Amino acid sequence: MSLLTDLSIAVAAGKRPDTIRLTQELLAGGTSPQDVVEQGLVPGMAVVGEQFRRNEIFVPEMLVAARAMKEALKLLEPLLAQAGIKPKYTVVIGTVQGDLHDIGKNLVSMMWKGANFAVVDLGTNVSAERYLAAAREHNAHLVGLSALLTTTMPAMKETVRLLKAANLPNVKIMVGGAPITQAFADEIGADGYSADAGSAVSTALRLMGEAA
Amino acid sequence: MNARTALLRQELARRPLLCDGATGTQLQLLGLAPGACGELWAVDHPERLQQVHQAYLSAGADLLTTNTFGGTAGVLGPHGAGGRVRELNAAAARLARRIAGERAWVLGDVGPFGGMLEPLGESLPDDVAAAFREQITALLEGGADAILVETMSDPAEAVLAVAAAKACGAALVFVTFTFQQSPRGYRTMLGTSAAEALAAVLAAGADVVGANCGTALSLADYERLTAELVAAAHGHPVIVQPNAGSPKLVDGKICYDESAAQFAEAAPRFLAAGARIVGGCCGSTPAHIAAMAKLVRG
Ligand code: B1M
Repeated sequence: MSLLTDLSIAVAAGKRPDTIRLTQELLAGGTSPQDVVEQGLVPGMAVVGEQFRRNEIFVPEMLVAARAMKEALKLLEPLLAQAGIKPKYTVVIGTVQGDLHDIGKNLVSMMWKGANFAVVDLGTNVSAERYLAAAREHNAHLVGLSALLTTTMPAMKETVRLLKAANLPNVKIMVGGAPITQAFADEIGADGYSADAGSAVSTALRLMGEAA
Repeated sequence: MNARTALLRQELARRPLLCDGATGTQLQLLGLAPGACGELWAVDHPERLQQVHQAYLSAGADLLTTNTFGGTAGVLGPHGAGGRVRELNAAAARLARRIAGERAWVLGDVGPFGGMLEPLGESLPDDVAAAFREQITALLEGGADAILVETMSDPAEAVLAVAAAKACGAALVFVTFTFQQSPRGYRTMLGTSAAEALAAVLAAGADVVGANCGTALSLADYERLTAELVAAAHGHPVIVQPNAGSPKLVDGKICYDESAAQFAEAAPRFLAAGARIVGGCCGSTPAHIAAMAKLVRG
């Protein structure tokens, strides 16, 4: 088994010390930070996401895995910066107004950091106006909205409406969260949707005109 | 124990009781915006809240639940009401007590504190216990006859709430957990089984135990879950309050798909499985409870 596979397994099991050690070993052995993220961490989190969807694992296992990934990213982020790989894209992310769920949003945020985006995380319960202000302030390329409640789906719709009405040049809007579907994303006029954190990176790149 | 609470205990041993249905979704029908703070209505719109309690009482509910699900400081805080715990909870309990009169009992409602306990989250048990005590003190001051700790997922959190209720002098404490399906049976979102969850709160001194809400649980699921709860309750009365289906967004409106008739038909099956109190959670309405009352009381 390769070290990358070991890393995937360690992340999925939420083993923080192993995750850190394997990340260090891979880097020392010459694997690029991007490959560590894309071929080690992301597949590990994909397994966790799939098991969670099937109710085979629960919130604690999910959180523990997310924390292990976060530790690995702490090692990787400065390296990406040192290598002079400037983030090409700035993305704003948050959970919509009235909604306090942030586990999924944090995962997407981590995946985007791992893909070397500059991520501005607004947290939870974010009003449409705050998304817009942040998109302006940071010259965002992409605004990501997460919603977990059926009752906050209208807030997502309202946020998309406000962002679209502001006519910011080149700002794409992406949505996600358990009750969100491609059909709903289309209905409210979002530019993109992804069902999980793994595909959130490729969807974002596609929206920004890159063949992912 | 005051006389009314003592009577509730007796009645519980004598006959099946009917609890009310959803408050939050009812308030939304009366104009509460999704995501807005419903607990403020005890003070801002008491007449509308009163209308909901009155409708459930007229439907035949024996137990009315105070509108205080998010009434701890941590949940009120983001709405700028973190300093109004005592005022809002006492007002809500007083209002429910006034409607209930001698015809029904008031359950002082305590929901999740809004975060996660360490090590999963950052909240410390002592802080969470203090938040529960602050809320429960006010609920009892307002006249709640018993405390209902509801929609729990983490047994450790539920135990803190039960202990807080006891410390504040509540003579009767109800606890409900919220479950989902898993390949290993019904579990809370933390992976806790009904047996583990009930064992924890019974050891802490809970009197009545059961389930409410849930993720994608059908009424047939609830019937099986009831049997599990009864087995795990070791003779303590069991309460079940399912959702009226799962929420769906249809033309911008939130709908629940379980009709009052379908919902009510399940109630006798819950009682046959050993439940002693039936009621409803998200999406249930006074019509659901009225239909239940017909079947439960005959
Ligand atoms: C920008 O682009 C993108 C792209 C992809 C994106 C994206 C954005 N955002 C997400 N994705 C996607 O990528 C992620 C990774 O693959 C995925 O993210 P998810 O977020 O879907 O998945 C996460 C990784 C894991 N999933 C989760 O974290 C959600 C898990 C469950 C158990 C859940 C949790 C944990 C919580 N909850 Co809540 N909770 C439930 C959930 C039931 C369940 N078993 O699923 C759900 C979502 N909750 C629900 C409810 C009703 C509530 N919750 C509430 C509270 C909570 C807790 C605080 C206890 C806790 C949140 C803790 C936290 N810090 O987030 C309350 C609301 C509080 C509020 N105002 O927000 C409350 C109202 C409960 C109550 N009565 O108090 C239900 C919603 C029903 C509905 N459809 O409306 C629910 C389905 C459970 C149920 N009862 O059925 C994808 O969707």
